Amino acid sequence: MIAPAPLKQNQPSQIRVRVLRQDGPGQDPYWQLFDIDYEREMNVISVLQKIAAKATTVDGKKVSPVAWDCGCLEEVCGSCTMVINGRVRQSCSALVDRLLQDNPDEIVLQPMTKFPVVRDLLIDRQRLFNSLKRVKAWVPVDSYYNLGPGERLPRVDQERAYPLSQCMSCGCCLEACPQFNKIELTQEAGETQEQFEARKQAAYDTAFIGAHAISQAMLFNQHPTGKALAGERLDALMGPGGVATCGNAQNCVAVCPKEIPLTTSIARAGRATTVAAIKNWFEGSGEKKEQRVGE
Amino acid sequence: MTSVTATPCTSFFTRHEFAIRRLHSLTGIVPLGAYMVVHLTTNASLLNGTATFQRAVYAIHSLGALLPIVEWGLIFAPLLFHAIIGVWIARTGRSNTSHYTYANNRRYKWQRITGLIAFVYLMMHVWHLHGWVHFSHWVELGERYGFAQFRPYNAASTMAAAMASWFWKAFYLIGMWACVYHFANGLWTAGITWGAWISAAAQQRASKVCTAIGLVLLVVGTSAWWGAISTDPVAAKLIEDQMYEANLKAGVVPPSVEKRTQPDPVLGEAAPAVAGEAEASVAPASE
Ligand code: HEM
Ligand code: HEM
Ligand code: SF4
Ligand code: SF4
Ligand code: FES
Repeated sequence: MIAPAPLKQNQPSQIRVRVLRQDGPGQDPYWQLFDIDYEREMNVISVLQKIAAKATTVDGKKVSPVAWDCGCLEEVCGSCTMVINGRVRQSCSALVDRLLQDNPDEIVLQPMTKFPVVRDLLIDRQRLFNSLKRVKAWVPVDSYYNLGPGERLPRVDQERAYPLSQCMSCGCCLEACPQFNKIELTQEAGETQEQFEARKQAAYDTAFIGAHAISQAMLFNQHPTGKALAGERLDALMGPGGVATCGNAQNCVAVCPKEIPLTTSIARAGRATTVAAIKNWFEGSGEKKEQRVGE
Repeated sequence: MTSVTATPCTSFFTRHEFAIRRLHSLTGIVPLGAYMVVHLTTNASLLNGTATFQRAVYAIHSLGALLPIVEWGLIFAPLLFHAIIGVWIARTGRSNTSHYTYANNRRYKWQRITGLIAFVYLMMHVWHLHGWVHFSHWVELGERYGFAQFRPYNAASTMAAAMASWFWKAFYLIGMWACVYHFANGLWTAGITWGAWISAAAQQRASKVCTAIGLVLLVVGTSAWWGAISTDPVAAKLIEDQMYEANLKAGVVPPSVEKRTQPDPVLGEAAPAVAGEAEASVAPASE
């Protein structure tokens, strides 16, 4: 155990928390203020627990508890990600004492701005996972029969792959990216559930794929078994909203809590797609056309 | 699968997004970036004197009838493509430098701002000096409002005269600086786009090299600007007229009305009529 930090003289007795709330998808957001008792060594999750227990705003109004999400409480699942004091991060690893040093007046909590809000601080990350499907971010093994032991990975490859494998799909890289814009569709009157889902799918499939998926594509393209799908992954990266949509602002790499070298993955994807495009130009273009006719 | 059946008739841009964006990146470097480097260097040669600059312009214009094809094929068409797609790209990004104050994020924002400045600057600049197209009615109309001012066989004097007002001086300085930043920073991002520099360390090294290139271009461009605003049009015109007379005699340049400031002291005011004679008198010299 790490010993708690020594008590400072001027510790506040209460903390003011400003929360951006929203009652449901597509509804108007509104701010609410809460005062909670200060304790040492709190994180934002414990702040949210206190708010839920109290469920009373600063002017004494009883309100429904603020909704939020969390899982691991140790910054490996990504589900507690939100915008804290204007910056996207995990609430489980956002320490209150540290936040108060930056801004002693209040802590500001907002849902991520690039995903549809479900309720309060809960958001819908479907598009993030859809991007992983677009690049087939998995190893194709169906386990019907034993393939024997896997290929041994040279050390350099292990060292290149390990950092990329730490991605927890939190979405920080997407929240901070100026090229990744929010898509929020609502079901129209007279539209069936299937039609709506299909429309959403099409929108998610052509919009910017995001740094996390580009990086995962590079991870699985160097995996001995994952390589089998390398061409399909590059096709996805060369499709609409692929790697070319990145504008090189490099915010993704700056905010990634796992310090994944995202911009290295982006440049590597840039090179791989350059090579693939030249190859397609000289070899594969005829094949592609035939395929299109067949579709 | 729903994703296949549901794919609506997507726009041409969506279907070819990769190719269009890569072509956008490529045109930024060649021909546009390369052209700008040569262009600013040529213009900076004015600091060495009117004659040096005039010789450079003669060399460019020795392309003769090919010049409009080169201009449109290698400069204007790529420029308009890059400019229009660039404005579209800039419109689709949502800058967030107030929350994420990283240097690279600011560079991203400034790449877009300088792109938009370059757009206004280049549309005006080409109209102001070159005129975009050389149909006589269009040029006459432009001239009346102070555009299409450049005359290649009076290169330094017409350029300097066109820069007389404070408005144009400031306009050129800001526009040229914006273009230089845009190209130097664009060179760095293009290296990531195409996968030339990959690791963080390589990207940092490349960033330093691109900064150095930018600083050199800044000096060259500012020299070009200084040359253009500090040249005395009257003195320059005397030198140009002497050079023209000599070169005309030597058969190095063809007689021209539209490439010369009118009235023309060398060919005289009734230039078109004389031009035929002059051509005849030049012919033996070239034998
Ligand atoms: C005329 C108006 C112009 C506009 C509106 C414009 C706009 C843009 C924009 C928005 C980008 C970012 C593209 C991206 O991140 O995907 C860009 C990149 C670039 N531009 Fe321009 N630009 C203009 C003119 C020029 C000129 C004259 C040059 C050359 C001197 C140039 C060279 C570049 C380069 C090298 C890049 C980098 C490409 C990359 O990152 O892959 N641009 N431009
Ligand atoms: C101090 C800065 C500059 C000066 C004094 C200057 C001067 C000139 C002159 C005299 C012309 C007329 C050439 C002709 O009609 O034959 C011209 C044309 C042109 N300039 Fe500039 N320029 C400057 C900066 C720039 C910059 C930064 C760009 C960006 C790429 C640029 C792009 C062009 C283009 C595209 C044309 C028309 C193409 C052509 O005439 O062949 N200029 N400039
Ligand atoms: S790459 Fe980093 S920021 Fe992006 S989802 Fe993965 S862990 Fe989160
Ligand atoms: S480098 Fe690309 S993916 Fe990363 S934040 Fe910038 S634009 Fe987005
Ligand atoms: S709860 Fe899993 S990352 Fe915060």
